[in-house]
Amino acid sequence: MDGVHDMGGMHGFGPVVVERGDEVFHEAWEPRVFALYHLSNVRGLVGGPNGRAIRESMDPAHYLEASYYERWLWSAERRLEAKGTIAPDEVEVMMARLAVSEAPPTAADPQLAAEAVAQLREGSPPMGIAANPRFAPGDHVRVRRMHPDGHTRCPRYVRGAGGVVERVQGTDRLPDKAAYGLPTEPEPVYAVAFASQDLWGESDEPPWTVLLDLFETYLEPA
Amino acid sequence: MSDVHDNDGGHHHERLASPIELRARALEALLVEKGLVSTDAIDAVIELFENDVGPQNGAKVVARAWVDPAYRERLLADGAAAIAELGFGGAEGNTMVVVPNGPGVHNAVVCTLCSCYPWPVLGLPPSWYKSAPYRARMVSEPYAVLREFGLELPAETTIRVWDSTAEVRYLVLPERPSGTEGWDEEALAAIVKRDAMIGVAVPVAVQTPA
Repeated sequence: MDGVHDMGGMHGFGPVVVERGDEVFHEAWEPRVFALYHLSNVRGLVGGPNGRAIRESMDPAHYLEASYYERWLWSAERRLEAKGTIAPDEVEVMMARLAVSEAPPTAADPQLAAEAVAQLREGSPPMGIAANPRFAPGDHVRVRRMHPDGHTRCPRYVRGAGGVVERVQGTDRLPDKAAYGLPTEPEPVYAVAFASQDLWGESDEPPWTVLLDLFETYLEPA
Repeated sequence: MSDVHDNDGGHHHERLASPIELRARALEALLVEKGLVSTDAIDAVIELFENDVGPQNGAKVVARAWVDPAYRERLLADGAAAIAELGFGGAEGNTMVVVPNGPGVHNAVVCTLCSCYPWPVLGLPPSWYKSAPYRARMVSEPYAVLREFGLELPAETTIRVWDSTAEVRYLVLPERPSGTEGWDEEALAAIVKRDAMIGVAVPVAVQTPA
């Protein structure tokens, strides 16, 4: 989707601001949203498109204004609603209850705690091995021109550009379909190297290389 | 991350919660009340990232690669397998590619579309990594971004920027700085910081008091 999340090369955001000290979480609610999001997946409480596809569908102004974990919270609510786990107004009702000093409930479920941690320690399976990749390291390729209205891992800034296959990374299901639960077979993924001038034109700086992991679907021979 | 519980700075009772904080609390309370998640499970997930998973893991990987050429070779050939030798792996880190800096080559990692990051070796990403300026500019003006981090590369050094657009997660293997000859693995790991493993800094040989 050609949304504001596809930021590579955009102008106007200013310098990178580095906060020294605690840079991962700023407020106590942020790690709790992170954990809640994970637990919702572990318990199968969510439905609809995956979290990234949902966050990319946020109103662009809201996306840019929201903090990182605010986006996670927003997508958690949408996914919980999609499954019917919560109703759209239930969060507001609970906010009103908590506002009148009702103590938030606590609960213990050691089995869930263990399962949640085990899943993080385990992770997803690694990418598969590409048996018959169409391209080999050294091959010249061009990124297809495309304008998908859903989730994609092909950023705008490389579309139409020519690059060189650096390595075959393995196989994976095309996120453009997998994000929506649509059937798709694993396909090869390539690290493709692009010369800076082929992406951005001339620069006063010395040349550099940008490498992206691109699905075979995105590429054609050059 | 260890500051998570200290962020209220002792003013917990005076500070007014923001609307988004109230919303986050409400969603948690809702799911707990429905019996779908538990507060101890939330705490357990947070504790994992506070205590076990963070850049201290990546630093051990780098230090091992600096002192053990055979390990370095395995690390560059199959990142996840070599990292697993040290006991690290899991979510956002089961397909790992380790990119080595060397004479004339400096690597850096970004995720222009979102926030992809190798959790098992670096923990969760810092705010700047997920910020619009870094995501926008690291691919289009990396020298300028690195200068903002205080990193001025030698003129003959070229940058290779890895945009993590699929499931591969990247770890930069920095060069071992001069002045660390004879250091043991633990002392070496102590100078390997998160930013050097993302590629926006390089390690410096400064002995920290034991």
